[in-house]
Amino acid sequence: MIRTFLIYLAILIVGVLFFGSMILFGVPALQESTFVLPKMATQAGAEEAGTTRESLEKEISKLQNKLDKCTPNDAYIVINTNDNHFYLFKNKQLIRDGLCSSGKNERLVSAERNYKHDFYTPLGVLKVLTKQKNPVWAKPNWAFIEDGLPIPPPGDPSRFESGTLGAYKLTLGDGYMIHGTIYKRFMGMSVTHGCVRLGDEDLEVVFNTMAIGSKVYIY
Amino acid sequence: MKENSAEDFDSLYVKKKYTGLKTFVIFFCLILLALISVYTYLSVGAVRDRMKLSQAQTEGATAVSPSLIGLMKDKAWVESRLKMASNDSIGLSVDLENHLLQLELKGVVVMSTKIRDYSASGFFKRMDGNVYFSMFGSPLTIQKYISSIEKNPFKVVQAPKNEAEAEAARSIKDTIHHEVFWTVKLDRDFELNIQGIDSVSASQSKYKLGKGFEFKRDLKNITNSFQQIIKFKKPVYTPEILISIPENEAKAILRALPRNAAVTIRI
Repeated sequence: MIRTFLIYLAILIVGVLFFGSMILFGVPALQESTFVLPKMATQAGAEEAGTTRESLEKEISKLQNKLDKCTPNDAYIVINTNDNHFYLFKNKQLIRDGLCSSGKNERLVSAERNYKHDFYTPLGVLKVLTKQKNPVWAKPNWAFIEDGLPIPPPGDPSRFESGTLGAYKLTLGDGYMIHGTIYKRFMGMSVTHGCVRLGDEDLEVVFNTMAIGSKVYIY
Repeated sequence: MKENSAEDFDSLYVKKKYTGLKTFVIFFCLILLALISVYTYLSVGAVRDRMKLSQAQTEGATAVSPSLIGLMKDKAWVESRLKMASNDSIGLSVDLENHLLQLELKGVVVMSTKIRDYSASGFFKRMDGNVYFSMFGSPLTIQKYISSIEKNPFKVVQAPKNEAEAEAARSIKDTIHHEVFWTVKLDRDFELNIQGIDSVSASQSKYKLGKGFEFKRDLKNITNSFQQIIKFKKPVYTPEILISIPENEAKAILRALPRNAAVTIRI
Protein backbone atom coordinates (compact mmCIF):
# COMPACT_ATOMS: atom_id res chain seq x y z
CA MET A 1 0.00 0.00 0.00
CA ILE A 2 2.71 2.44 1.06
CA ARG A 3 4.89 1.12 -1.74
CA THR A 4 2.30 2.11 -4.39
CA PHE A 5 1.93 5.53 -2.81
CA LEU A 6 5.71 6.03 -2.82
CA ILE A 7 5.92 5.05 -6.49
CA TYR A 8 3.31 7.66 -7.42
CA LEU A 9 5.05 10.23 -5.25
CA ALA A 10 8.37 9.46 -6.96
CA ILE A 11 6.72 9.85 -10.39
CA LEU A 12 5.35 13.24 -9.30
CA ILE A 13 8.75 14.40 -8.02
CA VAL A 14 10.51 13.23 -11.19
CA GLY A 15 7.88 15.03 -13.29
CA VAL A 16 8.34 18.29 -11.37
CA LEU A 17 12.15 18.00 -11.55
CA PHE A 18 11.99 17.29 -15.27
CA PHE A 19 9.73 20.30 -15.75
CA GLY A 20 12.06 22.54 -13.73
CA SER A 21 15.20 21.40 -15.53
CA MET A 22 13.55 21.80 -18.95
CA ILE A 23 12.49 25.36 -18.12
CA LEU A 24 15.80 26.34 -16.53
CA PHE A 25 18.24 24.57 -18.85
CA GLY A 26 16.53 22.54 -21.59
CA VAL A 27 14.54 25.21 -23.38
CA PRO A 28 17.28 27.92 -23.16
CA ALA A 29 19.75 25.35 -24.57
CA LEU A 30 17.34 24.49 -27.35
CA GLN A 31 16.87 28.20 -28.13
CA GLU A 32 20.62 28.58 -28.58
CA SER A 33 21.11 25.33 -30.41
CA THR A 34 21.93 25.60 -34.09
CA PHE A 35 20.11 22.27 -34.50
CA VAL A 36 16.64 23.82 -34.39
CA LEU A 37 17.56 27.15 -35.98
CA PRO A 38 17.65 27.43 -39.75
CA LYS A 39 20.74 28.91 -41.39
CA MET A 40 19.98 32.35 -42.77
CA ALA A 41 20.05 32.23 -46.54
CA THR A 42 22.25 34.92 -48.04
CA GLN A 43 20.08 37.65 -49.47
CA ALA A 44 19.93 37.97 -53.20
CA GLY A 45 21.34 41.28 -54.36
CA ALA A 46 23.98 42.85 -56.49
CA GLU A 47 27.59 41.93 -55.68
CA GLU A 48 29.66 44.93 -54.70
CA ALA A 49 31.34 45.91 -57.94
CA GLY A 50 35.14 45.98 -58.11
CA THR A 51 35.71 44.53 -54.65
CA THR A 52 38.63 42.18 -54.83
CA ARG A 53 40.78 40.52 -52.23
CA GLU A 54 43.70 42.85 -53.03
CA SER A 55 41.67 46.05 -52.80
CA LEU A 56 40.18 44.95 -49.48
CA GLU A 57 43.59 44.07 -48.03
CA LYS A 58 44.90 47.45 -49.11
CA GLU A 59 41.98 49.24 -47.49
CA ILE A 60 42.35 47.30 -44.23
CA SER A 61 46.06 48.09 -44.04
CA LYS A 62 45.33 51.79 -44.64
CA LEU A 63 42.69 51.83 -41.91
CA GLN A 64 44.94 49.90 -39.52
CA ASN A 65 47.73 52.46 -40.06
CA LYS A 66 45.29 55.24 -39.26
CA LEU A 67 44.27 53.46 -36.06
CA ASP A 68 47.89 52.80 -35.08
CA LYS A 69 48.66 56.51 -35.42
CA CYS A 70 46.23 57.23 -32.59
CA THR A 71 48.77 55.76 -30.14
CA PRO A 72 51.44 58.38 -29.33
CA ASN A 73 55.03 57.65 -30.26
CA ASP A 74 56.39 59.78 -27.44
CA ALA A 75 55.92 59.05 -23.75
CA TYR A 76 52.50 58.55 -22.23
CA ILE A 77 51.14 57.04 -19.05
CA VAL A 78 48.10 54.85 -18.44
CA ILE A 79 46.57 54.80 -14.97
CA ASN A 80 44.22 52.03 -13.85
CA THR A 81 42.25 53.52 -10.94
CA ASN A 82 40.58 50.21 -10.09
CA ASP A 83 43.80 48.27 -9.48
CA ASN A 84 45.84 51.39 -8.70
CA HIS A 85 48.50 50.48 -11.21
CA PHE A 86 50.33 52.68 -13.70
CA TYR A 87 51.93 51.79 -17.05
CA LEU A 88 54.52 54.11 -18.61
CA PHE A 89 55.06 53.84 -22.38
CA LYS A 90 57.64 55.31 -24.74
CA ASN A 91 57.90 54.57 -28.46
CA LYS A 92 54.80 52.41 -28.00
CA GLN A 93 56.75 50.13 -25.63
CA LEU A 94 56.01 49.57 -21.96
CA ILE A 95 59.05 50.84 -20.11
CA ARG A 96 57.84 50.78 -16.51
CA ASP A 97 54.82 49.83 -14.46
CA GLY A 98 54.04 49.75 -10.79
CA LEU A 99 51.67 50.63 -8.01
CA CYS A 100 50.07 54.00 -7.56
CA SER A 101 47.26 55.46 -5.47
CA SER A 102 44.23 57.17 -6.93
CA GLY A 103 41.04 58.93 -5.79
CA LYS A 104 38.99 57.39 -3.00
CA ASN A 105 35.58 58.18 -4.54
CA GLU A 106 34.13 59.92 -1.56
CA ARG A 107 32.05 63.00 -0.93
CA LEU A 108 33.06 64.89 2.17
CA VAL A 109 30.10 66.67 3.71
CA SER A 110 30.11 69.09 6.60
CA ALA A 111 26.68 70.35 7.58
CA GLU A 112 28.14 72.61 10.29
CA ARG A 113 30.44 74.37 7.83
CA ASN A 114 28.00 74.13 4.88
CA TYR A 115 30.68 72.45 2.79
CA LYS A 116 30.96 69.50 0.41
CA HIS A 117 33.78 68.24 -1.80
CA ASP A 118 34.11 65.19 -4.11
CA PHE A 119 37.33 63.21 -4.04
CA TYR A 120 37.80 61.24 -7.26
CA THR A 121 40.33 60.88 -10.05
CA PRO A 122 38.84 62.10 -13.34
CA LEU A 123 38.72 59.43 -16.07
CA GLY A 124 39.67 60.14 -19.69
CA VAL A 125 42.64 61.77 -21.42
CA LEU A 126 44.56 64.56 -19.68
CA LYS A 127 47.85 66.25 -20.52
CA VAL A 128 50.86 67.19 -18.44
CA LEU A 129 50.58 70.98 -18.11
CA THR A 130 53.56 71.78 -15.86
CA LYS A 131 56.43 69.94 -14.18
CA GLN A 132 58.06 70.98 -10.92
CA LYS A 133 60.84 69.71 -8.68
CA ASN A 134 60.56 69.88 -4.85
CA PRO A 135 56.97 71.10 -4.90
CA VAL A 136 55.30 72.78 -1.93
CA TRP A 137 51.71 71.77 -1.25
CA ALA A 138 49.31 74.64 -0.80
CA LYS A 139 46.62 72.96 1.29
CA PRO A 140 43.09 73.63 0.08
CA ASN A 141 40.11 74.10 2.48
CA TRP A 142 39.05 70.43 2.33
CA ALA A 143 42.37 69.35 3.89
CA PHE A 144 41.46 71.25 7.08
CA ILE A 145 37.79 70.22 7.06
CA GLU A 146 38.74 66.57 6.63
CA ASP A 147 41.01 66.74 9.68
CA GLY A 148 38.41 68.56 11.79
CA LEU A 149 40.58 71.69 11.96
CA PRO A 150 39.60 75.36 11.60
CA ILE A 151 40.19 76.82 8.12
CA PRO A 152 43.07 79.34 8.12
CA PRO A 153 42.94 82.47 5.94
CA PRO A 154 44.51 82.32 2.41
CA GLY A 155 48.29 82.73 2.50
CA ASP A 156 48.51 81.56 6.12
CA PRO A 157 51.81 79.67 6.74
CA SER A 158 49.85 76.62 8.02
CA ARG A 159 48.54 76.14 4.46
CA PHE A 160 51.99 75.35 3.01
CA GLU A 161 53.72 72.00 3.44
CA SER A 162 57.05 70.89 1.98
CA GLY A 163 57.80 67.22 1.25
CA THR A 164 54.16 66.02 1.29
CA LEU A 165 54.06 65.84 -2.52
CA GLY A 166 57.43 64.06 -2.77
CA ALA A 167 60.31 65.21 -4.96
CA TYR A 168 58.33 66.02 -8.13
CA LYS A 169 54.90 66.98 -9.35
CA LEU A 170 53.31 66.98 -12.79
CA THR A 171 50.12 69.05 -12.95
CA LEU A 172 47.18 67.86 -15.05
CA GLY A 173 44.74 70.77 -14.60
CA ASP A 174 41.81 71.49 -12.26
CA GLY A 175 44.03 70.89 -9.24
CA TYR A 176 44.84 67.29 -10.21
CA MET A 177 48.49 66.16 -10.18
CA ILE A 178 50.82 63.21 -10.35
CA HIS A 179 53.10 63.48 -7.34
CA GLY A 180 54.95 61.53 -4.65
CA THR A 181 53.84 60.76 -1.14
CA ILE A 182 54.95 60.30 2.42
CA TYR A 183 52.18 57.67 2.92
CA LYS A 184 54.01 54.79 1.20
CA ARG A 185 51.92 52.14 2.99
CA PHE A 186 48.86 53.27 1.02
CA MET A 187 50.41 52.46 -2.37
CA GLY A 188 48.04 50.35 -4.47
CA MET A 189 44.98 51.70 -2.64
CA SER A 190 42.29 54.21 -3.54
CA VAL A 191 43.00 56.76 -0.84
CA THR A 192 43.82 60.08 -2.48
CA HIS A 193 41.77 63.21 -2.89
CA GLY A 194 41.91 62.82 -6.68
CA CYS A 195 45.62 63.14 -7.46
CA VAL A 196 47.73 60.17 -8.53
CA ARG A 197 50.47 59.28 -6.07
CA LEU A 198 53.57 57.34 -7.14
CA GLY A 199 56.46 55.81 -5.23
CA ASP A 200 59.73 57.79 -5.18
CA GLU A 201 61.64 55.80 -7.83
CA ASP A 202 58.65 55.46 -10.14
CA LEU A 203 57.94 59.17 -9.82
CA GLU A 204 61.49 60.06 -10.82
CA VAL A 205 61.29 57.90 -13.96
CA VAL A 206 57.86 59.29 -14.86
CA PHE A 207 59.06 62.86 -14.28
CA ASN A 208 62.15 62.37 -16.46
CA THR A 209 60.28 60.50 -19.23
CA MET A 210 57.12 62.58 -19.56
CA ALA A 211 57.34 65.98 -21.20
CA ILE A 212 54.95 68.91 -20.98
CA GLY A 213 52.05 67.95 -23.26
CA SER A 214 52.50 64.19 -22.75
CA LYS A 215 49.21 62.35 -22.50
CA VAL A 216 47.82 60.77 -19.36
CA TYR A 217 45.14 58.12 -19.97
CA ILE A 218 43.08 57.40 -16.88
CA TYR A 219 40.46 54.64 -16.61
CA MET B 1 -18.45 -21.41 -2.90
CA LYS B 2 -15.67 -19.40 -1.41
CA GLU B 3 -16.58 -16.45 0.79
CA ASN B 4 -14.82 -13.14 0.49
CA SER B 5 -12.51 -12.47 3.38
CA ALA B 6 -12.03 -9.09 5.10
CA GLU B 7 -8.62 -8.87 3.41
CA ASP B 8 -10.16 -9.06 -0.05
CA PHE B 9 -12.48 -6.14 0.78
CA ASP B 10 -9.50 -4.07 1.99
CA SER B 11 -7.54 -4.71 -1.20
CA LEU B 12 -10.51 -3.60 -3.30
CA TYR B 13 -10.79 -0.39 -1.27
CA VAL B 14 -7.05 0.35 -1.62
CA LYS B 15 -7.20 -0.30 -5.37
CA LYS B 16 -10.06 2.20 -5.73
CA LYS B 17 -8.26 4.79 -3.58
CA TYR B 18 -5.05 4.53 -5.66
CA THR B 19 -6.92 4.66 -8.95
CA GLY B 20 -7.79 8.26 -8.02
CA LEU B 21 -4.15 9.02 -7.20
CA LYS B 22 -3.02 7.35 -10.42
CA THR B 23 -5.40 9.51 -12.46
CA PHE B 24 -4.14 12.61 -10.67
CA VAL B 25 -0.47 11.71 -11.31
CA ILE B 26 -1.13 10.99 -14.99
CA PHE B 27 -3.17 14.17 -15.36
CA PHE B 28 -0.54 16.26 -13.58
CA CYS B 29 2.32 14.85 -15.69
CA LEU B 30 0.33 15.43 -18.87
CA ILE B 31 -0.25 19.08 -17.89
CA LEU B 32 3.49 19.50 -17.23
CA LEU B 33 4.32 17.93 -20.59
CA ALA B 34 1.82 20.16 -22.35
CA LEU B 35 3.26 23.24 -20.62
CA ILE B 36 6.81 22.27 -21.61
CA SER B 37 5.74 21.66 -25.20
CA VAL B 38 3.98 25.03 -25.49
CA TYR B 39 6.89 26.78 -23.76
CA THR B 40 9.45 25.14 -26.06
CA TYR B 41 7.39 25.82 -29.20
CA LEU B 42 6.86 29.49 -28.40
CA SER B 43 10.43 30.05 -27.16
CA VAL B 44 12.02 28.55 -30.27
CA GLY B 45 9.46 30.41 -32.38
CA ALA B 46 10.63 33.67 -30.79
CA VAL B 47 14.21 32.97 -31.91
CA ARG B 48 13.07 32.16 -35.45
CA ASP B 49 11.02 35.38 -35.53
CA ARG B 50 14.02 37.40 -34.40
CA MET B 51 16.11 35.84 -37.18
CA LYS B 52 13.46 36.63 -39.77
CA LEU B 53 13.21 40.21 -38.54
CA SER B 54 16.99 40.71 -38.71
CA GLN B 55 17.05 39.32 -42.21
CA ALA B 56 14.13 41.49 -43.32
CA GLN B 57 15.99 44.57 -42.07
CA THR B 58 18.90 43.86 -44.41
CA GLU B 59 16.76 43.21 -47.46
CA GLY B 60 18.11 44.88 -50.58
CA ALA B 61 21.61 45.23 -49.11
CA THR B 62 24.57 44.43 -51.33
CA ALA B 63 25.32 40.73 -51.28
CA VAL B 64 28.46 39.70 -49.45
CA SER B 65 30.67 37.35 -51.37
CA PRO B 66 31.40 34.29 -49.19
CA SER B 67 35.06 34.27 -50.29
CA LEU B 68 35.58 37.82 -49.04
CA ILE B 69 33.54 37.69 -45.88
CA GLY B 70 36.57 37.22 -43.61
CA LEU B 71 38.30 40.29 -45.03
CA MET B 72 35.12 42.32 -44.92
CA LYS B 73 34.69 41.45 -41.26
CA ASP B 74 38.28 42.62 -40.63
CA LYS B 75 37.56 45.88 -42.45
CA ALA B 76 34.33 46.45 -40.50
CA TRP B 77 36.20 45.78 -37.25
CA VAL B 78 38.96 48.34 -37.90
CA GLU B 79 36.48 50.89 -39.28
CA SER B 80 34.30 50.47 -36.23
CA ARG B 81 37.26 50.97 -33.87
CA LEU B 82 38.28 54.08 -35.79
CA LYS B 83 34.77 55.50 -35.38
CA MET B 84 34.97 54.72 -31.67
CA ALA B 85 38.34 56.51 -31.50
CA SER B 86 36.70 59.73 -32.68
CA ASN B 87 34.72 59.82 -29.40
CA ASP B 88 36.17 61.44 -26.30
CA SER B 89 35.05 58.69 -23.97
CA ILE B 90 36.32 55.23 -23.16
CA GLY B 91 34.99 52.44 -25.39
CA LEU B 92 35.03 48.65 -25.26
CA SER B 93 36.27 46.43 -28.07
CA VAL B 94 35.37 42.75 -27.97
CA ASP B 95 37.44 40.56 -30.27
CA LEU B 96 36.06 37.04 -29.94
CA GLU B 97 38.20 35.86 -32.84
CA ASN B 98 41.43 36.61 -30.96
CA HIS B 99 39.93 36.18 -27.46
CA LEU B 100 40.64 39.78 -26.47
CA LEU B 101 38.64 42.34 -24.55
CA GLN B 102 40.07 45.86 -24.68
CA LEU B 103 39.34 49.27 -23.27
CA GLU B 104 40.16 51.96 -25.80
CA LEU B 105 40.49 55.67 -25.32
CA LYS B 106 40.86 57.82 -28.43
CA GLY B 107 42.23 54.80 -30.31
CA VAL B 108 44.78 53.92 -27.64
CA VAL B 109 44.41 50.50 -26.03
CA VAL B 110 44.60 51.33 -22.34
CA MET B 111 43.73 47.88 -21.11
CA SER B 112 43.74 44.49 -22.76
CA THR B 113 42.61 41.24 -21.21
CA LYS B 114 42.53 37.70 -22.51
CA ILE B 115 39.05 36.18 -22.69
CA ARG B 116 39.12 32.95 -20.68
CA ASP B 117 35.89 31.52 -22.03
CA TYR B 118 32.93 32.70 -24.04
CA SER B 119 29.64 31.53 -25.47
CA ALA B 120 27.37 33.20 -28.00
CA SER B 121 23.72 32.57 -28.80
CA GLY B 122 22.85 30.32 -31.72
CA PHE B 123 21.46 33.43 -33.39
CA PHE B 124 25.01 34.73 -33.96
CA LYS B 125 26.20 31.39 -35.31
CA ARG B 126 23.38 31.27 -37.84
CA MET B 127 23.43 34.85 -39.13
CA ASP B 128 24.50 35.62 -42.67
CA GLY B 129 26.98 38.28 -43.83
CA ASN B 130 24.43 41.07 -44.22
CA VAL B 131 22.96 40.54 -40.77
CA TYR B 132 26.51 40.44 -39.36
CA PHE B 133 27.36 43.82 -40.86
CA SER B 134 24.07 45.35 -39.78
CA MET B 135 24.81 44.21 -36.21
CA PHE B 136 28.56 44.78 -35.93
CA GLY B 137 29.47 47.03 -38.87
CA SER B 138 29.58 50.15 -36.69
CA PRO B 139 29.99 50.80 -32.96
CA LEU B 140 27.10 49.80 -30.74
CA THR B 141 25.94 51.91 -27.82
CA ILE B 142 25.32 50.70 -24.30
CA GLN B 143 21.77 51.46 -23.23
CA LYS B 144 21.55 49.87 -19.82
CA TYR B 145 23.81 48.32 -17.19
CA ILE B 146 22.79 45.66 -14.68
CA SER B 147 25.54 44.55 -12.33
CA SER B 148 26.16 42.51 -9.20
CA ILE B 149 28.43 45.26 -7.86
CA GLU B 150 27.99 49.01 -7.75
CA LYS B 151 29.07 50.63 -11.00
CA ASN B 152 30.21 53.91 -9.49
CA PRO B 153 30.71 53.42 -5.79
CA PHE B 154 30.72 56.81 -4.16
CA LYS B 155 30.65 57.12 -0.41
CA VAL B 156 29.29 60.15 1.41
CA VAL B 157 31.42 60.84 4.45
CA GLN B 158 30.51 63.24 7.25
CA ALA B 159 33.40 65.53 8.05
CA PRO B 160 34.78 64.86 11.55
CA LYS B 161 34.08 67.48 14.16
CA ASN B 162 37.58 67.19 15.66
CA GLU B 163 40.94 65.43 15.24
CA ALA B 164 39.92 62.42 17.37
CA GLU B 165 36.92 61.69 15.14
CA ALA B 166 39.13 62.06 12.04
CA GLU B 167 41.56 59.44 13.39
CA ALA B 168 38.73 56.97 14.18
CA ALA B 169 37.26 57.34 10.66
CA ARG B 170 40.61 56.44 9.06
CA SER B 171 40.64 52.92 10.57
CA ILE B 172 37.34 51.72 8.97
CA LYS B 173 37.87 49.59 5.84
CA ASP B 174 35.52 47.60 3.54
CA THR B 175 36.80 44.05 3.02
CA ILE B 176 33.68 42.24 1.74
CA HIS B 177 34.17 40.22 -1.46
CA HIS B 178 31.39 40.42 -4.05
CA GLU B 179 30.97 38.28 -7.16
CA VAL B 180 31.44 40.27 -10.37
CA PHE B 181 28.85 39.77 -13.09
CA TRP B 182 27.46 42.49 -15.28
CA THR B 183 25.19 42.76 -18.26
CA VAL B 184 24.86 45.53 -20.79
CA LYS B 185 21.92 45.94 -23.10
CA LEU B 186 23.10 47.20 -26.48
CA ASP B 187 21.19 49.36 -28.92
CA ARG B 188 20.87 46.58 -31.53
CA ASP B 189 18.78 44.60 -29.11
CA PHE B 190 21.15 42.06 -27.68
CA GLU B 191 23.05 41.62 -24.45
CA LEU B 192 26.68 41.36 -23.55
CA ASN B 193 27.34 39.56 -20.26
CA ILE B 194 30.69 39.80 -18.53
CA GLN B 195 31.52 37.34 -15.80
CA GLY B 196 34.47 37.75 -13.46
CA ILE B 197 36.19 34.41 -12.84
CA ASP B 198 39.59 33.23 -11.80
CA SER B 199 39.73 29.94 -13.75
CA VAL B 200 38.05 28.38 -16.79
CA SER B 201 36.58 25.51 -14.74
CA ALA B 202 35.11 28.01 -12.29
CA SER B 203 33.40 29.84 -15.15
CA GLN B 204 31.86 26.66 -16.54
CA SER B 205 30.54 25.30 -13.25
CA LYS B 206 29.27 28.73 -12.22
CA TYR B 207 27.37 29.16 -15.48
CA LYS B 208 25.76 25.74 -15.27
CA LEU B 209 24.77 25.98 -11.66
CA GLY B 210 23.52 29.52 -12.18
CA LYS B 211 24.34 30.88 -8.76
CA GLY B 212 23.66 34.24 -7.20
CA PHE B 213 23.22 37.27 -9.41
CA GLU B 214 23.18 35.31 -12.65
CA PHE B 215 20.57 32.87 -11.35
CA LYS B 216 18.30 35.69 -10.21
CA ARG B 217 18.64 37.31 -13.63
CA ASP B 218 17.78 34.02 -15.42
CA LEU B 219 14.83 33.44 -13.12
CA LYS B 220 13.50 36.93 -13.85
CA ASN B 221 13.75 36.26 -17.60
CA ILE B 222 11.92 32.93 -17.23
CA THR B 223 9.16 34.58 -15.18
CA ASN B 224 8.75 37.23 -17.88
CA SER B 225 8.64 34.52 -20.57
CA PHE B 226 5.98 32.60 -18.65
CA GLN B 227 3.86 35.71 -18.29
CA GLN B 228 3.89 35.98 -22.07
CA ILE B 229 3.24 32.28 -22.64
CA ILE B 230 0.22 32.28 -20.31
CA LYS B 231 -1.25 34.87 -22.68
CA PHE B 232 -0.29 32.56 -25.61
CA LYS B 233 2.20 35.14 -26.86
CA LYS B 234 5.76 34.48 -27.93
CA PRO B 235 8.27 35.56 -25.28
CA VAL B 236 10.80 38.26 -26.10
CA TYR B 237 14.07 36.72 -27.27
CA THR B 238 17.31 38.62 -26.71
CA PRO B 239 20.47 37.01 -28.08
CA GLU B 240 23.46 37.24 -25.79
CA ILE B 241 27.19 36.83 -25.58
CA LEU B 242 28.70 35.63 -22.31
CA ILE B 243 32.36 36.39 -21.73
CA SER B 244 34.50 35.26 -18.82
CA ILE B 245 37.53 37.32 -17.84
CA PRO B 246 39.55 37.70 -14.61
CA GLU B 247 37.43 39.18 -11.84
CA ASN B 248 39.56 42.25 -11.19
CA GLU B 249 39.53 43.18 -14.85
CA ALA B 250 35.77 42.65 -15.11
CA LYS B 251 35.38 45.11 -12.25
CA ALA B 252 37.85 47.62 -13.75
CA ILE B 253 36.09 47.59 -17.14
CA LEU B 254 32.63 48.04 -15.61
CA ARG B 255 33.80 51.03 -13.59
CA ALA B 256 35.74 52.61 -16.45
CA LEU B 257 32.93 52.55 -19.02
CA PRO B 258 30.77 55.67 -19.19
CA ARG B 259 26.96 55.52 -19.21
CA ASN B 260 26.47 55.33 -23.00
CA ALA B 261 29.83 53.86 -23.96
CA ALA B 262 30.52 52.64 -27.48
CA VAL B 263 31.22 48.94 -28.03
CA THR B 264 32.72 47.25 -31.09
CA ILE B 265 32.46 43.52 -31.57
CA ARG B 266 34.13 41.00 -33.88
CA ILE B 267 32.88 37.41 -33.94
